[in-house]
Amino acid sequence: MARLGVDEWVARSGERRERQSGWRGRIDQARARVGWWPRLALVVGLGLVFGQIAANVNVQTVAINSLIYALLAMGLNIAVGWAGLLDLGYIAFFGFGAYGYALFSSNALGSGGAGGAHLPAIESIPIVLVAAGAVGVVIGLIALRLSGDYLAIVTLFVGQAFVEVVNNIDPGTLGGVNGLYGLDPVHSFGVSITTPKGLYYLVLAIVAILAVVLHLLDTSRTGRAWRALQDDPLAASAMTIPVNKLKVMAFSFSATVGALAGTLFAAEQNNVFPTNFTANILILIYACLVLGGVGSIAGAILGGIVVTVGEQMLSSPTDAGYLFYGLILLTLLVRVRPWRYLGLLIAGTIVFGLAVRAIVSAVSASAVAGAPGSSGWIGSLVSHWVIVPAHPATYGNILFVTLICALIAIIRLQGTRRLLAVVPTIFAAACCWESRLIVNPAITTQIMIGAILILTMAARPQGLLGAHRVELL
Amino acid sequence: MQVFVQTLVNGVTTGMLYALIALGYTMVYGVLKLLNFAHGDVYMIGAYIGYFVLHWFGGPTALSAPVPLVLLVMFALAAGGCGALGVAMERFAYRPLRDAPRIAPLITALGISFLLENTVLLLFGGFTRSYQTPSFLPFSSGLHIGALRIDIVQGMIIVLGVLMMLGLRWLVNHTVLGKSMRAVASDREAAEMLGIDVNRTIALTFFIGSAMAGVAGVMSGLAFNQISNTIGFLAGLKAFTAAVVGGIGSLPGAMIGGLFIGLCESFTSSYISSQYTDLIVFGILIVTMLVRPTGIFGAPTLQKV
Amino acid sequence: MRPRFILIAVALLALIAAGCGSSSSSSSSASASASAGSGGAKKCTTSIAIEGPFTGPVAQIGLEQLHFAQLAVAMDNAANATNVTLAQDDTQLTPALATQKTQAIIGSGAVAVVGPAGSQEVNAVGPLFGRAGIAFISGSATLPALAASGKNPTFFRVVPDDSVQGPQDANYIISHLKPKAVLLIDDAEAYSQGLANAMTPILQKAGIKVNRQTYNGTDTGATLANALSSLVTSQLNPSETVTVLPWQTAANAQQFGLDVQQQRKKTILFGTDGTNSPSQFKIPGTYVSNFGPDISSSSSALDKSLVSGVAKYGPYGAFGVPTYAAADVLMKAISSVCKAGQTPSRSNVLAAVKKTNIPASANPLGVPVSFQSNGNLTGSPGYLFKITGAGKYIPVPNK
Repeated sequence: MARLGVDEWVARSGERRERQSGWRGRIDQARARVGWWPRLALVVGLGLVFGQIAANVNVQTVAINSLIYALLAMGLNIAVGWAGLLDLGYIAFFGFGAYGYALFSSNALGSGGAGGAHLPAIESIPIVLVAAGAVGVVIGLIALRLSGDYLAIVTLFVGQAFVEVVNNIDPGTLGGVNGLYGLDPVHSFGVSITTPKGLYYLVLAIVAILAVVLHLLDTSRTGRAWRALQDDPLAASAMTIPVNKLKVMAFSFSATVGALAGTLFAAEQNNVFPTNFTANILILIYACLVLGGVGSIAGAILGGIVVTVGEQMLSSPTDAGYLFYGLILLTLLVRVRPWRYLGLLIAGTIVFGLAVRAIVSAVSASAVAGAPGSSGWIGSLVSHWVIVPAHPATYGNILFVTLICALIAIIRLQGTRRLLAVVPTIFAAACCWESRLIVNPAITTQIMIGAILILTMAARPQGLLGAHRVELL
Repeated sequence: MQVFVQTLVNGVTTGMLYALIALGYTMVYGVLKLLNFAHGDVYMIGAYIGYFVLHWFGGPTALSAPVPLVLLVMFALAAGGCGALGVAMERFAYRPLRDAPRIAPLITALGISFLLENTVLLLFGGFTRSYQTPSFLPFSSGLHIGALRIDIVQGMIIVLGVLMMLGLRWLVNHTVLGKSMRAVASDREAAEMLGIDVNRTIALTFFIGSAMAGVAGVMSGLAFNQISNTIGFLAGLKAFTAAVVGGIGSLPGAMIGGLFIGLCESFTSSYISSQYTDLIVFGILIVTMLVRPTGIFGAPTLQKV
Repeated sequence: MRPRFILIAVALLALIAAGCGSSSSSSSSASASASAGSGGAKKCTTSIAIEGPFTGPVAQIGLEQLHFAQLAVAMDNAANATNVTLAQDDTQLTPALATQKTQAIIGSGAVAVVGPAGSQEVNAVGPLFGRAGIAFISGSATLPALAASGKNPTFFRVVPDDSVQGPQDANYIISHLKPKAVLLIDDAEAYSQGLANAMTPILQKAGIKVNRQTYNGTDTGATLANALSSLVTSQLNPSETVTVLPWQTAANAQQFGLDVQQQRKKTILFGTDGTNSPSQFKIPGTYVSNFGPDISSSSSALDKSLVSGVAKYGPYGAFGVPTYAAADVLMKAISSVCKAGQTPSRSNVLAAVKKTNIPASANPLGVPVSFQSNGNLTGSPGYLFKITGAGKYIPVPNK
């Protein structure tokens, strides 16, 4: 919030006061006493423990993907979070790294499907990283002439052009739409990492090392200069900070980290395809960075984990159901005070649902003939509460639209009226979920991703671990 | 000669459609400095509203009212519906973020885009629908002089594009609302102190911009055979490009930018290569941006120290 | 500070729940197979999964496939007294997503899989399914190389590959339409390029000049219209009396046909199964080749029940019919395993799928279903339709 005559110290006074009281304050104080290094050690330790207990290959794969997205977000953070350059072509470096690794680890460079480079990772990955850094320098040099949204659009072209290039240029080598597959696993010095567990530890180690490197960079002269550049390029250049050099450096570093993530991604997938590097993935990386908190290394890691795990959860109907009902309960817990109101509200909702269902079933038996879409204990819990007609599609659609209108109404209403409006809304939400949303889990996933993005930004625009910035006038 | 003329017509039609979407985009940007990535999805909603109005009148082959009346209702309801959607978006999603870091509303916009696209998929299914325009606006009606052949829908796009650009310019330059828009654009807090209702001005800007997207949606439904829930993403991207290439925030710039891209695309695919069209067009645009780093019509911004 | 705590709490809860969720899904698989084992042949309870693009740019074809798979599961459950559930895994036609979903399926209790839709996805997930010993049957992946050299040992498809369909279509064009030159446009997708690559040499061998062009099939709206219109303007020469459109979106082919009409050019369009959609592609005089007969106007009892049955899930679309056949194969395999008194485990279902022998009368594609050792169909169905002035698809002999 930009306010006249308010500086950061004053703006944070309330925060400090809160910090000094209550159990939450004490935890906060304790947390603040723990330095950066112990925290990193704690996170890495947790990662190692997780690697030991996660036996399921699927869980291991999700963990690897989370870490790869964390890497991507850390790399993007250099350009976007630190240097303030809105880079919409970042996905090209991710793809560049993946294709680079694929070329050196398959038959692609051989003639007629035989031979090929098959370099060990210790050689291929550095080659790819250096090349990516060089490409980053070139694009950074181009970007020097542009600023803000003009930079964004040109980098966006770069990202789009990458997909076009691998799709169209030299399908014999790059594979065209059919991609390159059957890549070597990561191997060096005669050791080859073939299990997801091994790859998980490798990626975890790389994330940890990169976090250290980036932390050192962040607290170095360069890091401070980047932040100066982001806050005010003009003032920065007046202070003899080499603005142009710093911008090119930011692009190049960010490209290198993106390509590193790409090489690991290609190794994990065992293949590369152009459609893996489209704008959708870029959106996901931005979501990681912004949800985690722009400018924060820990935020980037947390964002990568939350987004990947969240996406994975949402795509399983059972987990999505837990998330859906859980979020409703959590919102009530957080927003409704005092406690007796909360109790009244929940009891009221249950009674309301039973009453409405009784009335509807008295009018028409087929209107409650359908079974809820949820399986398991949620399904049996709500099966005598929600209204699901025999042919739920149209009913569910109408309910969905009504639900959106009701949510808007709740935001507008105040006091007791709001509380009263919440009761039928929750019931409608449950009915809609059971009759329509869970029947199309794929579409529901996308809708929920959209809703969660909007709500998180509304609740916390600076991201989970981002610092609240006071903009000076 | 015929290929040249036809390519020109293709390019101008496409470009005008980009421009129609870009006008709303650039207007919102000009006032709020907000990249509304959900603008393309509002356009998609407009196309769907037009489709349902058309079918409410009995469908393309059995219209129960005169064609001009049906078209008028389609445009009016699409503009109204999308305008309302735009206002709701601003009120509930963007307004809480007005003072947040610039990247936060970007993510919100992506969230809205996901939400709209998939809500339509849930409600209306994934299959593409068609206005079947030739059955009520036949190809034979239109302007045919020698090699030049502009059918009636293409003519409508071109005329409507120019009219809307002129109308918006008039609105921004010569009305009280336009004045308050410019005031809010240049300094929101100072405008508030001068007694301008900032919230109302921004809401109206969103209404007008989104209503124009709705009109563009109906227009695209009439001109092209297919509407689906995913047409918004690419259209939004092209409109964003058009707005930036023309000089973001500038109304004539949006129009010129749209035409420039449309013509680049059609001439590249007609004369150079249909396979590499996208790559060549990206190349042209990058070079253009490097020659004029603030777009064709954009004025270099003065930095306040 | 409060919201911060809450959000972190939410994040942690999500992580914990995810951990529990994945572990519970593996335990549920164990319990599912256990109950099936103890229940014996009485109630055959298990689950299968479908991979397809249910959201994103090609959601239309993915949802058509999904609806037919849902129908097959419901009909076969009723007919064979099985209790098989269908899990939906959305891949958006993206190999990386398909890989992710495949890992999840392998970690779940699913015993077999319908899909994935795209050949590039099969390339990505084939080895994973192979290692896990899970049978997967695609209703639309037609790249010939997928079945080659044991790379995808558990892959099956109920449609002929491009090396069957491509030559069939090319030979029909050569012998019946007799053009001097052909305009052949692919849409830059794996499906389309595969067919185009199969047809081009055969046409050229017959002395026909092939004008090969590409447009970006993922484009929409004005961009797409501009690309198609420019192709008609600059590439469609008067000598090219046939234009081949092996595309996966029927509406794009319709747009192309309208452009041809609008610019007053003359050419006969020739579409493939991707463009087979009587509701969307109806340019008179066009030929459309497909794997199966048009069941929407068929009089057989099976076809009628399919067309009326699928309406419960979504609108009828011809592209989904092969996926009905794919899901049907799996359902019958599971039922046969149960009837033999065995547990419907992955290996048993895989073995049963290999032994599939469904008569032509029970397959909406009109051919008997049995598989070669590489997963390809034994027979090679092929149908050809001509679109009448009223937009109806009339079958014509394709030899």
